[in-house]
Amino acid sequence: MAFIKIKSLFKKFGSVVAVNQIWLEVKKGEILTLLGPSGCGKTTTLRCIAGLERPDEGDVIIDGKQMFSQGFIPPSKREIGMVFQNYAVWPHMRVFDNIAYGLKLQKLPKHVIKEKVTEILESVGLAGLGGRYPGQLSGGQQQRVALARALVRNPKVLLLDEPLSNLDAKLRERMRFEIKSLVRRLDITTVYVTHDQAEAMVISDRIAVMDEGNIVQVGPPEEIYKKPANRFVADFIGTTNFISGEILEVFKDRDLAYIHTEFGQKMLCRVLDSATASPNKKVHASIRPEDVEVFTEPPEDRDNLFKGIIMHRAYLGNFLYFFVNIDSTMIRVQAPYDMMEKEGEELFLFLNPEKCIALF
Amino acid sequence: MSRGNLFLSTLLWLVVAFFVIYPLSFLVLESFKIAGTNHFGIQNYIDFFKDAYYLKTFSNTLLLGLLVLLTTTLLGLPLAYILARYRLMGKTLLTALILLPIVLPAYAGAFALIVFFGKQGTVNLLLLEWGLISKPINFIYGLHGLVFIQALHLLPFIVLSLSAGFTNIDPSLEEAAEVEGAHGFKRFLTVTLPLCTPNYLAGAVIVFLWPFTDWLTPLIFGLPDFLPSIAYINIAYHFTDMYRKYMGIVSVVVSSVICVAMFLISKRWVESKKYTALSKGTTLEGRIIDPGAFIRLGSYLYMFFTAILVLLIPTVLGLSAFSRRWVLEPFPTYWTLDNFRLIFIESPGLLKNSFVFSGVALLFGVVFGLPAAYLITRTKVPGKDTLDFVITLMLAFPGIAVGVSYLLAFWEVVPLATHWMVMPLSLFVRRLPYFLRMAHASYLQLDISLEEASEVSGAGKFRTFLNISLPLLLKGVFVGVVMFFIMAFQEISTAVFLYRGGWETLPIGIYLNWHRGMEFGIAGAMAFLMIVIIFILLLIVSRIGGGILGAAWGSAGGRY
Repeated sequence: MAFIKIKSLFKKFGSVVAVNQIWLEVKKGEILTLLGPSGCGKTTTLRCIAGLERPDEGDVIIDGKQMFSQGFIPPSKREIGMVFQNYAVWPHMRVFDNIAYGLKLQKLPKHVIKEKVTEILESVGLAGLGGRYPGQLSGGQQQRVALARALVRNPKVLLLDEPLSNLDAKLRERMRFEIKSLVRRLDITTVYVTHDQAEAMVISDRIAVMDEGNIVQVGPPEEIYKKPANRFVADFIGTTNFISGEILEVFKDRDLAYIHTEFGQKMLCRVLDSATASPNKKVHASIRPEDVEVFTEPPEDRDNLFKGIIMHRAYLGNFLYFFVNIDSTMIRVQAPYDMMEKEGEELFLFLNPEKCIALF
Repeated sequence: MSRGNLFLSTLLWLVVAFFVIYPLSFLVLESFKIAGTNHFGIQNYIDFFKDAYYLKTFSNTLLLGLLVLLTTTLLGLPLAYILARYRLMGKTLLTALILLPIVLPAYAGAFALIVFFGKQGTVNLLLLEWGLISKPINFIYGLHGLVFIQALHLLPFIVLSLSAGFTNIDPSLEEAAEVEGAHGFKRFLTVTLPLCTPNYLAGAVIVFLWPFTDWLTPLIFGLPDFLPSIAYINIAYHFTDMYRKYMGIVSVVVSSVICVAMFLISKRWVESKKYTALSKGTTLEGRIIDPGAFIRLGSYLYMFFTAILVLLIPTVLGLSAFSRRWVLEPFPTYWTLDNFRLIFIESPGLLKNSFVFSGVALLFGVVFGLPAAYLITRTKVPGKDTLDFVITLMLAFPGIAVGVSYLLAFWEVVPLATHWMVMPLSLFVRRLPYFLRMAHASYLQLDISLEEASEVSGAGKFRTFLNISLPLLLKGVFVGVVMFFIMAFQEISTAVFLYRGGWETLPIGIYLNWHRGMEFGIAGAMAFLMIVIIFILLLIVSRIGGGILGAAWGSAGGRY
């Protein structure tokens, strides 16, 4: 059951199209992330859901209520909670008053407000700090105030606009889990905007990848990672190698195809949508560094086995990176940390056809 | 720390000690003198606060300050919001018009409005002529008129500081309020306005303190019962009456103490409430929106109304400048260039004095201000913060305090007041912080690594200053120079105590011509001439400094 529905949403600023007729549904209680590079339209989409931006076209529906297109419901009437990138904690109000602001507008009795604020302060880990001014808090604490303020009214929808981007790396990692468990516990439908793919993987039930105002792919993190819909997604999520080439032959029954690679050898790839694959078509085969198998001695002959020379070796503690040159094509390979091969030595790479994905 | 910096610091301190601290201390000391003796005591102050009349002037001045502040706030709040937030055609031009009074002398406005709104003024005469009224209405004489004219003069300070506040608020702070359920006016009251209080206060303190400084406007309205006016009358006309002289001096000191105290309190308060540093990602434009038709119309009406009031001043002065015998007629009927002939041919000294005194003062300002700005922003010389503080404090001192203290201090012990140099010197001291602030601001924008690169390349500090800093500072410094000149050019409250025969400046000429009860034409022509000169200078600034708005800004920043 879709709780938030976005239909054909379109928004431009001057002549720049920020959001280009996107369709999106968010289920009740789900955490959906809008992921993409800066300028892809993810924040604009979020602001359209909030009502801070008025779309040019399209519908925004929250909990069955039309927010836009038939009339325009202002943000103040949408029953949403929002965490801004810079927290937007009001510096002239104490923490308590920041959080109580929305409750006071609802004209709740004083003791109820006090109860609710105390409770939410506790659950974001700020118990006892209600009397402080934001200027007396650290960045991380301000962030929690913003979160508490967004949650205290039990909003129908929680919107988060890159909430962790101003925190340091360690705190950022911890907050991902904290936000996720808090939102889960309160069972609030959440839309989360970030450009950090690792953050998106941790926090989301589903990810919508955006590029240049379009939603390119929507799905659970695993699906996005393993079956990227196109080159952009494969490149943006995680690290990958691209091997370009042309299709030679398609095996429709097995969803596989032979391609002629740029380094002049034949290679077998998976084709996710074999209907679109046809001979002579240009493709980019994507394979992740951890999916490449490495051999020091040549194993028995098979498809997709290539010989290359180690150009760089990088030790990262729990594994190694080899940059292997196969006839001027550089492949990044993740290998066990105890391999002792050095730069200039030979390696055999097996690019498992099941994990080589042909993208157009 | 280099010896050069220390030497510079000593030099600047000597200037401050001799031209600021010495005369002002002399003034304070004098106020404690028991008349006719060489003893000191608080008798003068007891007399002052026991005398029902002086107590009344004291409370009158406070009341005037509050009323002017209230009026400017009520008028300025919507105006500032319109300027900061709505996208309107011709806004820049209207803004420039509304901000014009900031550079116009207040007394010129007072003359103009009396001619237009007075009992025998244009409006009353027209209404009588059309038979709408049977006897003149009192539009302007009295406290309400004084409040009105001072409010019109001070409106830009409130508008500028508030609209800067509205512009600088991080948009997300308001958006957060909207998401939380606060729409429109509610949001404005709970979030927008409170966030602007530091900005508002910065402007409000200037407005509130103005009646403690402006002695002339109340006199023009025939209302002498205010602290600065009575101080002027007592000291300038009753210097031989010991009681009145000392009451005058006490008035000056009391005004100064109130001004300095208010200034320091507001400064402290503003500094403790600096909100802007907290939020990141503020957009330069803030939130500028296209208003609906109703608001658009309202905004235009409001802006036009204010602009017309402001434009009345140069218009009326212009009319009187080119006419004579404009009495008991709604508009002048006898047109002539006679007034200008009188100014240019019969007393060209006024113009010459004005230019020379302001020019020399400016020279002092630059020679003092640039090194001082350098010392304060770029070195760690001990005592530089105190130096900065003392100089900044001069912003709060009323002009009459400078004038009276120079009159007292440079008379017998150091007979400087007998030389014409005292005129530019006092102008320079009066606007001491002014040029410094400008140079200071420019210095802060100048990346220190540019200077360091020069020093690494082998240039000494002085050469670096000449080759690198000065050229890069030039634009900011130039705007500062012109604005300083404008301020010095229209200065009267200091100069009026110090001028002697032959040292009269244009503002003093205006005052004297009005005072002698001569025809308004000459005074009007002088004021008009002054406005034209100021306007030309402003045009130059706006060419270089980016818009008249920017120029006016500089002045607002400087006066504070």
